[in-house]
Amino acid sequence: MLIQLEQICRTFRVGGEEVRALRDVSFSVAKGEWVAVVGQSGSGKSTLMNVLGCLDTPTAGRYLLNGKDVSRMADDALARVRNEEIGFIFQTFQLLPKETALANVELPLVYRGVRSRERRERAAAALEKVGLSNRVHHRPNELSGGQRQRVAIARALCAEPSMLLADEPTGNLDSATGEEIVRLFEALHRAGHTLVLVTHEPRLAARCPRAVRLSDGIVVADGPGPEVARQNLEDLGRAADKGAA
Amino acid sequence: MSLRVDGWEGAKIALASLRANRLRTVLTTAGIGIGVATLLAIVGIIQGLNASFEEQLAGLGSNSLSISKFPWVMKGSWWEYRNRKNLTLEHAEALRRVPNVVAVAPNVTRIREVTGRGQQLSSVRVVGTIPDYLQVSTYELAEGRFLVEADEGGSVVVLGADVAEALFHRDSPLGANIRIGERPFRVVGVLARKGKLLGQSRDMLVAIPLNTHRRYFGRWRPLDIGVAVDDPSTLDRVEDLVVGALRRHRQTPPDKEDDFAVNRPEQLAATYEQLTAALYAVAVGVGFITLLVGGIGIMNIMLVSVRERTREIGVRRALGARRRTIVVQFLLEASAVSAVGGALGTAAGLGIAQVVSWITPLAAAVNPLTVVAGVGFSAVVGLLFGIWPAARAASLDPVEALRYE
Repeated sequence: MLIQLEQICRTFRVGGEEVRALRDVSFSVAKGEWVAVVGQSGSGKSTLMNVLGCLDTPTAGRYLLNGKDVSRMADDALARVRNEEIGFIFQTFQLLPKETALANVELPLVYRGVRSRERRERAAAALEKVGLSNRVHHRPNELSGGQRQRVAIARALCAEPSMLLADEPTGNLDSATGEEIVRLFEALHRAGHTLVLVTHEPRLAARCPRAVRLSDGIVVADGPGPEVARQNLEDLGRAADKGAA
Repeated sequence: MSLRVDGWEGAKIALASLRANRLRTVLTTAGIGIGVATLLAIVGIIQGLNASFEEQLAGLGSNSLSISKFPWVMKGSWWEYRNRKNLTLEHAEALRRVPNVVAVAPNVTRIREVTGRGQQLSSVRVVGTIPDYLQVSTYELAEGRFLVEADEGGSVVVLGADVAEALFHRDSPLGANIRIGERPFRVVGVLARKGKLLGQSRDMLVAIPLNTHRRYFGRWRPLDIGVAVDDPSTLDRVEDLVVGALRRHRQTPPDKEDDFAVNRPEQLAATYEQLTAALYAVAVGVGFITLLVGGIGIMNIMLVSVRERTREIGVRRALGARRRTIVVQFLLEASAVSAVGGALGTAAGLGIAQVVSWITPLAAAVNPLTVVAGVGFSAVVGLLFGIWPAARAASLDPVEALRYE
């Protein structure tokens, strides 16, 4: 198993009150899987994404990533794990605005200590993979939203991490561009990459072979993407009916 | 990741950020630059003053003493000194017997007007002395001869360079007649130029035989006695012996202090340094405060920079930058700004000192060590004032930083 979550809890203290964002979350992801983590806002999926991305550590439970227990790691060690194991893809792209596409893609390799010539070659190859070899020296403000997200995907791919962790990757894109990005994910999945996609959109979850649904910090469903998405939609519908009544 | 990567990448990021915010960089740089410039200009001018003063003092001779009723640096009331017993020719004779003493020149000075070739000089130092004076005073002859034993009581004169030039321009004054007050004198020699001491010409003088001086300008005038030794290293010992000999001769009671002063150029230097040390301290203090203000400017800008780049910090942390890497990046940025400011300030400070030395009589000289200290110190200021902002940047929670709008 690439990812193994065992009874993960994450509690926040907000103004003296305890907020339990994750309660005993357990599931595993095998190498090469494409999993959607789906849930409404406040379901704990963002917290789960931060824990999965080693940006945050759980209050209780165990998280094994690629055989390493990362749930109790110190800050520097976590930085190293993020650098080597995880390729982040954010809703808002999170590119450095003053750097070129190439320099942005190189960034994880900078922190890995790869020499600049090799960095440039690998970054250029990653940009080619996402179909942007003609935009290498453009800055983010010279690129469209879809192109920016593809630069971000290239950045995630460039360091050859064990998994790609995408947070609402199509959230800031129009539907046509979003579709392009989903197709890119499908291609990456076919190529053997492990993908974890955090989203609130059931339609996006339906495109994934597997989906995990969170509600109030608890895993309420784990199964084939379309099925979980349908359940989710039904729940949403019931909630809407209740609201209307 | 190694420190090499931290440093190298940090430097590149820092430079890129400085380039991206040019105006801000320039203004911050100016803050530090002005501080360093002020500090260096002041230090340069004072060092220049000291250097030129030391050079002038060297011209007084390092192997001579001057004994007088009056010390060069007066610490008590003038009247007290004035009422001391005069020094006499007998005292001078007694000093000739002190070992290592090679020349003793009693001398007396009055200010008189000097006329020659229809021109008049109003305040010329008229020194009455004996042949030894040349050796004691370290003057040298430009032409003719100095006073000799045979001149004693005669009306011959040796001109200082300023006097010769003012009265005779480029002509040789040898053999010419001049008047000192109403008295006629024949010129037998001209002294080589000595330059200025504390802005006063040392060449606006004439030397005449001691007895002639006493006859014409008053016998009661107190004598000074100049003493030259064969070797500067014996000067301290000679001073002790001179003091002993004079006290014996003047029958100074053992419980009384010396009623005469032994003056040495170093004493002037010491007093002068005491004076400038206070000035120095104040000036350096002002410079430091300016640097401090510059440093606070840097801290301010760095805090703004950290805030502005919160998301960038979050991205870098997410992609694997450690806290240390972020700290190094911001520290390098802060110290780069202040080192550049320090370098520009150094250039400006040296420039100011140079201009001052052109347009005023003050000579400015900057010790190279001061330059190194200036640049180094400003880099340290940047580093110190960068620590807090850098620590803040590194302590950001990556999750929060990524979410920052």
